[in-house]
Amino acid sequence: MLDLETIKNEALNAISEADSTALEQLRIEYLSKKGKIQSLMAQMRELSAEEKPQFGQKVNVLKKAISEAMDAKKNELEESMMNARLASEKIDITLDAYRPKLGTLHPLTLVQQELEDVFIGMGYNVAEGPELESDIYNFTKANTPEGHPARDMQDTFYVDPSHLLRSQTTAIQMRVLEAEAGHLPIKVICPGKVYRRDDDDATHSHQFMQCEGLVIGEHITVADLKGTLELMIREMFSKDAKIRFRPSYFPFTEPSFEVDMTCHICGGKGCSTCKGTGWIEILGSGMVHPNVLEMAGIDSSKYTGFAFGVGLERVAMLKYGITDIRDLYTNDIRFLDGFKR
Amino acid sequence: MKLSLKWLSSFIDLEGLGSDEIIRQMVKCGFEVESVEYMSQGTDLIVGKVIECKDHPDSDHLHLTKTDIGKEVLDIVCGAPNCREGLKVIVAQVGAKLPGGEIKAGVIRGQVSNGMLCSLKELGIDENLLPEDSPSHNGIEELDDRFEVGDTDILEKLGYDDTILDVSIYANRPDCLSMFAMAKEMGAILNREVRLPEFAGKADVGKKTDFRLDSRSANCPHFLAKVVNKVTIKESPEWLKQHLKANGVKCINNLVDISNYVMLETGQPLHFYDLRSIPAKEITVVDDYEGNYTALDGIEYKIEKGDLMITSEGKPIGIAGIMGGDNTKILDDTTGLIIEAALFDHAQIRRTSNRLGLQTEAAARFAKGLEPLAQNKAMDRAVQLLLELADAEDLEETVEYGKAQYEPYEIKESLAHLNALIGKEYTMDEAVSVMKRLSLDCRVEGDSFITSIPSYRANDLKIPEDIDEEIVRLTDFDDLRSTLPLIPQTVGKLSNIQHIRRVIRDFLRNRGFYDTVNYTLVNEKYINEAILPSGEAVEMISPLSDARRYIRTSLMNSLLEALSYNIDHNNVNINLYEISKVYTKVTEEERLGIIMEGSLIDEKVKHLNLKADFYVLKGLLEELFDSLGFEMGRITIKQNDLDTKHFHPYQSAVFMMDSQVLAIFGRLHPNYLKPLKLQDVIYGEVMLDVLDKANPAKVKAPVISRYPSVSRDISLMLKDDVKAGDMLALIRKVGRQLVKSAEVFDVYQGEHIEEGYKSVSLNIVYEDKEKTMTSEDVNAVHEKILNELLEKFEARQR
Repeated sequence: MLDLETIKNEALNAISEADSTALEQLRIEYLSKKGKIQSLMAQMRELSAEEKPQFGQKVNVLKKAISEAMDAKKNELEESMMNARLASEKIDITLDAYRPKLGTLHPLTLVQQELEDVFIGMGYNVAEGPELESDIYNFTKANTPEGHPARDMQDTFYVDPSHLLRSQTTAIQMRVLEAEAGHLPIKVICPGKVYRRDDDDATHSHQFMQCEGLVIGEHITVADLKGTLELMIREMFSKDAKIRFRPSYFPFTEPSFEVDMTCHICGGKGCSTCKGTGWIEILGSGMVHPNVLEMAGIDSSKYTGFAFGVGLERVAMLKYGITDIRDLYTNDIRFLDGFKR
Repeated sequence: MKLSLKWLSSFIDLEGLGSDEIIRQMVKCGFEVESVEYMSQGTDLIVGKVIECKDHPDSDHLHLTKTDIGKEVLDIVCGAPNCREGLKVIVAQVGAKLPGGEIKAGVIRGQVSNGMLCSLKELGIDENLLPEDSPSHNGIEELDDRFEVGDTDILEKLGYDDTILDVSIYANRPDCLSMFAMAKEMGAILNREVRLPEFAGKADVGKKTDFRLDSRSANCPHFLAKVVNKVTIKESPEWLKQHLKANGVKCINNLVDISNYVMLETGQPLHFYDLRSIPAKEITVVDDYEGNYTALDGIEYKIEKGDLMITSEGKPIGIAGIMGGDNTKILDDTTGLIIEAALFDHAQIRRTSNRLGLQTEAAARFAKGLEPLAQNKAMDRAVQLLLELADAEDLEETVEYGKAQYEPYEIKESLAHLNALIGKEYTMDEAVSVMKRLSLDCRVEGDSFITSIPSYRANDLKIPEDIDEEIVRLTDFDDLRSTLPLIPQTVGKLSNIQHIRRVIRDFLRNRGFYDTVNYTLVNEKYINEAILPSGEAVEMISPLSDARRYIRTSLMNSLLEALSYNIDHNNVNINLYEISKVYTKVTEEERLGIIMEGSLIDEKVKHLNLKADFYVLKGLLEELFDSLGFEMGRITIKQNDLDTKHFHPYQSAVFMMDSQVLAIFGRLHPNYLKPLKLQDVIYGEVMLDVLDKANPAKVKAPVISRYPSVSRDISLMLKDDVKAGDMLALIRKVGRQLVKSAEVFDVYQGEHIEEGYKSVSLNIVYEDKEKTMTSEDVNAVHEKILNELLEKFEARQR
């Protein structure tokens, strides 16, 4: 009996101090067919029938204990080896990484896509039209007949007496009105490039972008215009922005309004961006003039509508803090790199 | 429009309204004030008397004064040459704020100075507004007996206490270019009573006349003329001069000043001719005069057919509506005159004025449109003032050509219509009170109110919505609620081309390209060097400059310009694109331009470098088209034979789809790049309309074979003009559906390869969707393919 206990203690001691080679040796020494456990089993033949089962059981317990101790040791050794390996593989995580280089979308594209997405979400379609336009769509149908003083407001690039580079995306609206007069209601926005004979400087560009909106249906009101623009401004600038209407004049709307929004920089308290007023002029709008509806063949006694127009450069400049409009047309990649999202 | 608050206050009591409050109210009611100009500025001013004036010991021009301002005597150093004992002067006390800064107590060359003796110029008064004999031109102002020592209301007494607002007038309110109409408008805005001078019918005086008037142009439908045989020319009274000065109008003499003043008041440009210069007693307006004519500014202008001219005896005497003539103007010895008050077509005046580059106050008013009764009103007022201020005598009756075009009319609007349009609940009282504020006669009939429109609002108030705007404009509008249109639901979505643009932009952005926006208008060279232009370029009638004369017909040169800009600014690896419309006289197209210089991938850490070349752009375009539903196969590639002037003739190609040119791309020609100082540029231009109009392949889930595939390589020695595309096509043709994929994975020329030959290695993957291919099956088809390749391309196996 003492014999078994001694074997166990010797074995466990040896296991606890073994490295992986020694552990393999010990496995052979104790657990192989010629090992110490097996030789104990051989001793069983000399025992009485009564003693045999008892002894056999004890040997099995011993075998199990040694075997388990060996497995545990093996795991322990493997783990420490793994730890040592991992430690040896330590890297400097602050070194520069492989960074796949993204390009960017132009800030004007970003603003246009954002506007498109806001209005598509409200059920609007996105209409387009030719930049080389007839003066009929650019002016006449927009309630600005030849000789109308409002033609003075925009010095236009004519290419012949009746064709021009469109000076306002209103031209797209007039095409939509004509095409869709029989399929009311109309809900569209009209983004695009426009051109005016302005010399380029920090705040003027002979080419720029507008996005106009047009809704025609029954019982459309100025309050609907206000609600729609408020949603747009909140999506584009700030969730708690407010807007206010100031009376204005456009030939194709009556009444007409300039729209101011609360300054997105100071929230309306007054800062250098809003020149201390808390308000920023952001777009023009109004109720579609009955003449415009009638010219498109829409019954102005039954249908009303609103229209608005916003300059994409103005939105981009306000939103991204751009101070010189020419930066938008220079395409310097150091500038463009700032618009990764 | 310059609005003098002082002048305005002669019509409206402005008591209690500061300029800030007035501006706030104007902005609310739809008038933008562009700038505020104070005629003079200065605080802490007081009248003083110089009681002692000695020369400064250390200066050849400074004076040491003792100046009595009543409450104390100040030591003030003054540099003005006219400073002397006994003078009454304007003293800016210590702490006074002047346009040049704040006055501080100080020491000037060792002498104490506690204030400043002022010139009017130092108080911000424009030199042009000073009387010619004002001491302030070269020294300090000398005050007269009206001023007592200790007085502080100096600027008021001098009449320089005016504030002038520069108001921008919208095109629908040309009436506001007249002071009388503006005063009425301001009365409505400020809700205060307006008192205007009475002058109706003042021109209905005078003896019989034999003066004759005629117009031979439809663009002059109305003309009034009146002969005044005797006038006295002299200086205008001070009040009149002040109003003119406040409006920036130069004062000349009472006659010229009256014509200008009446224009400011009524909006109707007037012209006075010297009676002696029209001896024929006849004026005819024509529009067929051609020749040079000298206007009263002394400059000769080239008059063309269509321009309206005033003539007498067939000879020109003035450019109608724009400027009078040098040969008929009022002179210093004028003793009689002819008054002209006419209506000229606004569009014609604008055309002539723009063409001659002659922008006058008169032309601006005609161009913006006059109120229909302006000629009659101005004639009445002019006669009144000539009688009062120029001792006019011996008047003849007014001669009239045509008739004023105005029939009184009414606009009927209902509360229901008003409220349905605006989305508010106005009451009848609110609506009617706005009409009253505007001095418009208005009566109520049931749910409606009917407004009489006076002549001066006829340009603007035509339909009920115009009346609605007046109500919105003049009542508080900030409480308007926000709602959304209650109309049937619509589906909003991007159109096909809009979707294609977004796919392209995302694709290129994710591969390192920058989206650019370039100018549409370009120079002649960009047109001459365009890529596949679809026609003749469109030219501007009046371009801003030669650099912006044409609408571009292709995108390449704009992108090359953007590329050069970046290179000049030391940027490297420049990969740009632009999506834009291009135009010719007959076409509108949408194109995509892609430009690459340097590397598309340049990764130092992992040593990855993908230099831009023909194949990089070719592969990008193929994958892009694939992602839009257009696979190679439907798209074919061919050698570029369309443009070898701008493209390298052997490293460029054309993609065709549905027998149309889809894209041209490749390396740009070194000869074209050389003058641009560019080395190696890869460029492609894609015709997006071809993609937009074609039907993309339907998305169909791929069938993945359950049986294994087998890969085999072939290495061949061939003549170097054999095209990989032809070999792959043959492999597919022979192997049919058993060829799952085939590609060239190596091409080698050089050492160990005979001149004119190349070694090409191909990989073919075989697969049968019905069964596992045995090696016999694979061998059979592979042998067949190999033999065909050897035979057809005269190849040798390596």
